[in-house]
Amino acid sequence: MRLSRRDQVVLCAPLAVLLAGWLVGPAMLGLLATFTNYSPFTTGVRFVGLANYSAVVQDPQFSAAARNIAVFTAVAVPLELVTGFLIAYALREPLRGRAALRVLLLLPWLVSPIGSGVMWHYLFASTTGIAGYALGFFGISATSPLGDERLAPAVVMAVEVWRVAPFVAFLLLPGLVAIPRERWDMARVSGASSLRQIVDVALPSVRPLLLTVTMLLTGLSLGSFDAVLILTGGGPGNATMTPALYSYASAFETNDWRSGAASAWLIAAAVLAAGAVYVSLTRERDRE
Amino acid sequence: MRARIAFLAVALALFLLPLAWTVVAAFGIVPDNSARPPSWSGSFSFDHFAEVGLAEPAFWEELASSTVFAAAAALVTIAVSYPAAYALARSPVATRVVPVFVVLASLPAMAYVIPLSDVMRRAHLIDTAAGIILSEAAVTAPLAVYVLHGAIRQLSPSWEEAAVLDGAGMWRTLLFVALPLIAPSVVATAIVVFVIDWNLLLVPLVLTSGEIKTVPVAMSDFFTFERELEWPSAAAALTISLVPVALLVALFHRALQRFSLESAIQSSDE
Repeated sequence: MRLSRRDQVVLCAPLAVLLAGWLVGPAMLGLLATFTNYSPFTTGVRFVGLANYSAVVQDPQFSAAARNIAVFTAVAVPLELVTGFLIAYALREPLRGRAALRVLLLLPWLVSPIGSGVMWHYLFASTTGIAGYALGFFGISATSPLGDERLAPAVVMAVEVWRVAPFVAFLLLPGLVAIPRERWDMARVSGASSLRQIVDVALPSVRPLLLTVTMLLTGLSLGSFDAVLILTGGGPGNATMTPALYSYASAFETNDWRSGAASAWLIAAAVLAAGAVYVSLTRERDRE
Repeated sequence: MRARIAFLAVALALFLLPLAWTVVAAFGIVPDNSARPPSWSGSFSFDHFAEVGLAEPAFWEELASSTVFAAAAALVTIAVSYPAAYALARSPVATRVVPVFVVLASLPAMAYVIPLSDVMRRAHLIDTAAGIILSEAAVTAPLAVYVLHGAIRQLSPSWEEAAVLDGAGMWRTLLFVALPLIAPSVVATAIVVFVIDWNLLLVPLVLTSGEIKTVPVAMSDFFTFERELEWPSAAAALTISLVPVALLVALFHRALQRFSLESAIQSSDE
């Protein structure tokens, strides 16, 4: 149907109002405020330049958080992609009970990030947990790895992979199912191994989809908050501190609104930078 | 084939064992890790589900709030996203804008909830259903626009053109011609959006002062300095909060196969 300019405006208006009022608008106001001494409790707002940002960047707790989230994103996102891809790959061909398997393998993603934190808190505890039970057979009393500075970051990542990989599989499956049969047959006839089939047939077909999923996972990871809040609260020490936890604690717990807002915008900047790469990659592909 | 089945069996065991451990604990069966060798203790009962209401007196109310907010937010999301997705799908220039919605969908709530909470407070929308519902809808709308745009792009415009030739207006065509044709995609999107909204923590957390709570907000203070919930009660609460979304997904598993992030890209390649 041919839409006039006016039709387009009318159709997009409700979305524009919602996003302007409840997402983009507040975000932009927040950005402006970070260059001032604004907080809900100040009177007499004045321009302070980059003072809020430099205060955040110089805080050792924030640098620890930034380092942690860089490692977290670099490790967890690829693991989520690989695990999710393998599950989707295994589910791509008809199989007895596939519909049930699809639902069952999506269950971890249906648990809220905060619920997952509550659950794994107990599952890692020595008296109620899985590891405590298994190690008990060897006569070892387990202590929670969440209290160990070296183990806690790995455990937090593993829990997040457990929750997110099923969603990745859910998102990738339609792409893998849509690959025409002939392409698999051709690869099989020419004697390609499973690995070659993945590299030559599956990956090229779902590359655009993988790009979009990677963008979503990157944003999710850079904003990690709920998943860590209960599990470790950022500890022990700062071992699992994230920028989002730092930002929340600054603004709502220690009433340092300015640091909270500025550090939150640093998260937004990181996601927008990843977003710029994503948009330019999709444009490049469109031109091909 | 055999390798595939073995892989799926291992994946199923790894991904579901934690949930199974939780569900049996909700029914009172817990491990005794101090015994050598470890054993199981407790007897099967439904009591722990009732205990949730004692440990967290407002739990059932919170469950109801969560359901209403998530359902309303999903409705608002679809209502504003569908017309916009349609406009984007049927105007060639707009396709370049579409990837921006993926970036918006990736933006973590923490990036903007601090100023959002301030704006909502000034607009007197703190502790109101409207404030929570609209804020949740804004979180999920970008993803919905992207997915619905893809679904509409897959649809041949000839149906709509025929309707217009018959004298149908734009809204009539949108609601009675195009919408039924992509209904499975719309249902799938609504369910995914409902699940995301149901599980949101930060947005309802910063927009409320304790008067209304959703289940995730309540869970965020299951452990405080004063208390730590007993494992079977916490397990029961977790089980209860998982059941509604699990049922929804199981009921609509066929429609959910239409939730595709890909169609948008495929059609723009043409």
